[in-house]
Amino acid sequence: MQTPTALEHLIEALRCLPGVGPKSAQRMAYHLLQRDRKGAESLALGLHNALEKIHHCQQCNNFSETETCPLCASGKRDPQLLCVVEMPTDLLMLEQTQTYTGMYFVLMGRLSPLDGVGPKEINLDRLLKRAQDGEVQEVILATNYTVEGEATAHYVGELLKARGLKVSRIARGLPMGGEIEHVDVGTLAQAMLERNAMR
Amino acid sequence: MYHFVSMKIPISRQDQQPVYVLHTYPYLETSLVVELFTRNFGRVATIAKGARRPRSAMRGMLQSFQPLVATWSGKSELRTLHEIEWQGGLHVLKGQALICGFYLNELMLRLLPREDPHEALFEHYQQALQALTGEEAQSIVLRRYEIRLLQELGYALSLTQEAGSGDDIDAGALYSFVPEYGAVKASPQSANGSASNGSGLQNKSGIQLRGKTLLDMAQDDYTDTQTLQQSKQLMRTLINHHLGDKPLHTRQLLIDLQQL
Ligand SMILES: [Zn+2]
Repeated sequence: MQTPTALEHLIEALRCLPGVGPKSAQRMAYHLLQRDRKGAESLALGLHNALEKIHHCQQCNNFSETETCPLCASGKRDPQLLCVVEMPTDLLMLEQTQTYTGMYFVLMGRLSPLDGVGPKEINLDRLLKRAQDGEVQEVILATNYTVEGEATAHYVGELLKARGLKVSRIARGLPMGGEIEHVDVGTLAQAMLERNAMR
Repeated sequence: MYHFVSMKIPISRQDQQPVYVLHTYPYLETSLVVELFTRNFGRVATIAKGARRPRSAMRGMLQSFQPLVATWSGKSELRTLHEIEWQGGLHVLKGQALICGFYLNELMLRLLPREDPHEALFEHYQQALQALTGEEAQSIVLRRYEIRLLQELGYALSLTQEAGSGDDIDAGALYSFVPEYGAVKASPQSANGSASNGSGLQNKSGIQLRGKTLLDMAQDDYTDTQTLQQSKQLMRTLINHHLGDKPLHTRQLLIDLQQL
């Protein structure tokens, strides 16, 4: 008995999902075909629609259904501030703080030298163009405080400073309500090294 | 009825070992493969289960360039990482120094075989990270580490004696340095084939440099700018020779960034 090729194809296709190996792909495929054909149909349609409609905003590089995303197009944001983040979820988090009123640029990744992720993969050329639109005055680097995020911030910062822009980096230190006794040692060490003068 | 077996110490478990994280990459849905450089066991690959979950205690700890202590167990090629803690002390690598750190890590991942203890190299690695946070020129720190890495790996070549003849290197003479062979005098006689090495190796793609450069490198003295330049060429040639065809990502990254 031979497995039908359509099934093989589906199993193979499911393996593109992160963390899905051949076994789980097979399980998923059987589940969709046997127990949840409606769900499968909606999944297929959802994927098809998303692929058709969702592109990158020409300004901020975030996912968008329109050429310019609603945030960039709103006209209510401060065009002099540009905040650089790694991922769309980082943008959402910053929006939740309701403390930032400027524009964004989403890299969709970070420089990761050991994985071969370089400036091309994270759209640095587009960011440079975006930041030099004549309106942006300050670029705020809100990449992660991981070694990769730090390397990214360094290079983006250097490239932008060389082009005459003011560059800042989001601060780090003790968390809100952080008690020294309970905070992790690494955070505390950084907080000590990067202490601020009392104002 | 008791069946007595001699108390077997689980040798596969290692507690509180000094380590550095060389690299991590995703594994299955929520885990990470963590490549460790350990003081007592060399390079060890481990799995940090669940380390990609948002509230994982290990997550923030698995950063490169920080002195850590780790506990792992298992016998397969991928050990299980149980615990990782900060050892205190901090190497604050910033900007270009951070890229130099990535370069060191990439060299280690590419050249150092797994589970091959290199205690001395661990000390050198630690010193190199420390030096990268300091005032010393980064290029000197890198050259010094490259030399020590090749020595530890058993690729050491004499910087003070000529290959073949064993004659002392003459500071005033010119040499050709051939990978896996060593320095041969690039004097007119040697070009005529009457040189002491007699193997014809000097015609191979050796790198031309001054005797003084070799002696300076042996003394860890990089105050001469020509020594610094020539040692860079030499080490690049030697390292490329051992790396094979696949280029280093960190080098490519620097090239790409310069083009922006
Ligand atoms: Zn946008």
